Amino acid sequence: MMATEAAAAPRLLAALRGRAGLDPLAQTAWGAVVAQGDAAGAARWADAVLALLHANAGAACLGAMLRLRGPAAALAEAAEHATDICRHAGAAPTIACLDTWDRLRVGGLWPGFCRLAREAPDVLAPATANAAAIVGAVGGEGFADFVALGLKAAGRDKARRAAFFALTSKLARQALAQGAGAGFSAHERLLKLFGTALWGRVPALRPLPAAPGRPPPRRASLSDGVVLLPESFPGVPQAAQGAVFRATVAHALAHLMAGAPRQPVGTLKPLQLVLVGLIEDARVEALALRRFPGLRRLWAPFHVAPPEGGTIPALLARLARALFDPDYQDSHGFVAKGRALMAAAAPFDPAASRRIGGLLGNDLGQMRLQFNARTHVIEPAYRDDGLGLWDFGERAETPPELLDLMVEAARLRQEAGEGGADTAGTGADTARARPAAAAHADGTVLARYPEWDRAQGVERPEWTCVRDVPARLGDARQVATALDAAPDLRRRIDRLVRAARPGRPRRLKRQPDGMELDMDAVLDAEVARAAGELPGEHVYRGSALCNRDLATVVLVDVSASTGDGGVLETERVAVALLAEAMARLGDPFALMAFASDGREQVRLTRIKDFAEPFAVATQARLAGLTPGLSTRLGAALRHAGADLAGVRSYRRLVLVLTDGEPSDIDVPDPADLVEDSRRAVLGLRARGIDAFAVVLGTAGADTAARMFGRSGHVALRRLEDLPARLSDLYFRLTRR
Amino acid sequence: MTALEHFVVAAEPYYRPVGNEVAVFEAAYRHRLPVMLKGPTGCGKTRFLEYMAWRLRRPLITVAAHEDMTAADLVGRFLLVPGETVWHDGPLTLAARGGAICYIDEIVEARQDTTVVIHPLTDARRVLPLEKKNELVAAHADFQIVISYNPGYQSAVKDLKESTKQRFVGIDFFYPEADVEAEIVARESGAGAALAATLVEIGRRSRNLRGQGLEEGASTRMLIHAGRLALAGLGLEAAARAAVVLPLTDDAELREALGGAIAACLE
Repeated sequence: MMATEAAAAPRLLAALRGRAGLDPLAQTAWGAVVAQGDAAGAARWADAVLALLHANAGAACLGAMLRLRGPAAALAEAAEHATDICRHAGAAPTIACLDTWDRLRVGGLWPGFCRLAREAPDVLAPATANAAAIVGAVGGEGFADFVALGLKAAGRDKARRAAFFALTSKLARQALAQGAGAGFSAHERLLKLFGTALWGRVPALRPLPAAPGRPPPRRASLSDGVVLLPESFPGVPQAAQGAVFRATVAHALAHLMAGAPRQPVGTLKPLQLVLVGLIEDARVEALALRRFPGLRRLWAPFHVAPPEGGTIPALLARLARALFDPDYQDSHGFVAKGRALMAAAAPFDPAASRRIGGLLGNDLGQMRLQFNARTHVIEPAYRDDGLGLWDFGERAETPPELLDLMVEAARLRQEAGEGGADTAGTGADTARARPAAAAHADGTVLARYPEWDRAQGVERPEWTCVRDVPARLGDARQVATALDAAPDLRRRIDRLVRAARPGRPRRLKRQPDGMELDMDAVLDAEVARAAGELPGEHVYRGSALCNRDLATVVLVDVSASTGDGGVLETERVAVALLAEAMARLGDPFALMAFASDGREQVRLTRIKDFAEPFAVATQARLAGLTPGLSTRLGAALRHAGADLAGVRSYRRLVLVLTDGEPSDIDVPDPADLVEDSRRAVLGLRARGIDAFAVVLGTAGADTAARMFGRSGHVALRRLEDLPARLSDLYFRLTRR
Repeated sequence: MTALEHFVVAAEPYYRPVGNEVAVFEAAYRHRLPVMLKGPTGCGKTRFLEYMAWRLRRPLITVAAHEDMTAADLVGRFLLVPGETVWHDGPLTLAARGGAICYIDEIVEARQDTTVVIHPLTDARRVLPLEKKNELVAAHADFQIVISYNPGYQSAVKDLKESTKQRFVGIDFFYPEADVEAEIVARESGAGAALAATLVEIGRRSRNLRGQGLEEGASTRMLIHAGRLALAGLGLEAAARAAVVLPLTDDAELREALGGAIAACLE
């Protein structure tokens, strides 16, 4: 080791001897490295810098390298990477890389820089200039991924590449907004469970979308009971993101538990709004801490403001810490006054927040400090933006910076409303838009099927045309929320699944052979023997696995009538629950929705095929179902049968979910379609496929009995029963 | 009566009434009406019955129902001794002859065709026919039958027959109110009032997750266990993890969420 050190360092120093400007720099740098006492590191550094010199780095680049200070190993690594970059991209970008690394000191930068130097040296300049922003959003480890994404997306298009690394392209902004890792969605389930455990009901958590043309949101927002969370918290390392999310949700729930209604903004100025928000934050946290003292450990790491600094953000952070942390010492008059006012106020009184916030706002106003509402970001990071407290109403004269806040708040509220409420509104829109859409998208023709002509008593061949209509995608979260709202039901179905799951051994009695005696059989045999009869030989117990071998097609009626009274909504939940159960059982199944618009337009929407898993995409299609058109059941049944014909299963089942009798615009007498459906069911049964109908409401019960037989249908008087009954029914039908 | 001697509950079991359940049971017993105890696991059904048996001074015969249970397991069967078969009374027959309280725990676990053997004992006849022996056992005047039933298990597959259900008087059990539950946890585990209150608060957090991945929240019994662990010198967080979080679920995210919520309850 000593030999290498002795060899490399003098070689480096010898090479630079006499070069004006570099010689003394090298001497000092070498001295600083050696002083660390890490001989191996020092030797590596000297070797690496020498290599950089040999890569024709030039005086400026070497100077930049030699001016860096830090642990020898890190500097050596920097020099090695700089050599690599210099060989491919030249000296100037290398200097930029070294400077950037020096500013950020994140090891993860190097792989990204090296790759850019090799593959796209032209964008090294914007990439180094924006490195701070990129690392801030995706973390040091994510930098290389960000680079890879940019190179891949741009291909050979230099302009696109430049736009990406200048952070002006949409993709780059998205990637930054999504931040490190998978962002909110990776934490969503955990947060939901955490919130539920604390709060007793499932909190509504939604991702907070970035508004076009604005930077990605950095803080959570509350909007009428919905907690909107950013994709990630910029500037927080990936490993700590989970902790911020959890602290954020706990804080948001503290607001919801304290439950203050929105207040009119009145004549409050932005700074006062911020202050009232801060006081209210402290108030709800104090209330939450009474009940859950352990939340202090969750929030405390974020309150790190030191008792110094006189700018408004600094004073706000100090006040926030003073109100949160009783052990924090701060003698500033403003902070002390805030503490005193807060201590005197009643904690259960939301109006106190406004009063105290107003008073403190006046004090701060008299200090004549600059406050920029546009760039202000709430600190600490786990607190929400405070907009959920305010009712901005409609005011004629509004200061421009308040207008900004209002627009933002209104946008959030609107989006949350759309995501959270049912789709009645959107459903109506689509229904209205449908005739026009239908003219364009007739759907792919899947097959033509015969139909029974009741009047003539003949089957009309190729009478109906079944078309595949692509599914509209809805919000899968909506389905998930609906499922969350029925925990008892889910538990019950869970038990059914477990009871029915294959691989559970069933005891068999009176077997001819086995490991255990069947005591009752032995006794019978003994009794028989004593009585002089021939004893039975079947005296053992055995067990057998009951295997399920069953394929199901679920046909969902989405005709116009299902739009009334939330029928489709309930169907959706029921089907989602059933699908969840079937997926967990491993039973192959397909989900289809049907509606019709005359015999040439029997429209089938595939929600899930046999081969597909029941996943988010499927749920999105389920959520996207919209009511409309009529019910030509027979054709749908025939198609389901054709679908099942290709499936190899011992039992095959078509399960129909409908809200009434079949009808269509080109059939004046519904009895025709009833008769046709009856024949379709008979046709299925003849091929060994069971058909079963669940009819909503009692109106269609008689018709259903005609079509599916007395034991082939069940009529539900109450719509609310559907989710529970549908799954129960499935298990009953498929037992044995 | 000698066969029943060791089924007698000698010392008074601790039971903290939370409603009118004692009065209902006593009234039912006065007329020997069959009783059904409903409620989630670990909320005191079995303890209540032990207490009532002690109070009424009746022996208590407990049968844990299971899926492979046959009618013979309840009623009795012929067993072989060299050269001949000898009849052995099952627990139900024993109780019916001797005037004990027969408690069939988690009755839905048994198959429906097994549970119908109790029918003749639970109506006005109060008899138990032993088909194999050609005997009709008339129930002792003090005999009573009690079953327990976890309504969570109610499902199309595992449910009581309507004809079975309708023979019983029902008493519903649930986790008691927070202060009462804290009193029970304190008494049973030996924990102080503050610790018991925290344990109950922990229990509430887990019960909030019922149906969100957890089948049941922490039972009172679990909280008592956690209290005992904590008193044995384990930290409260570690005790709650060992006695509550780990037994309840194997789901890593659920454990973390529950652990976080529990941590929020601790000072």
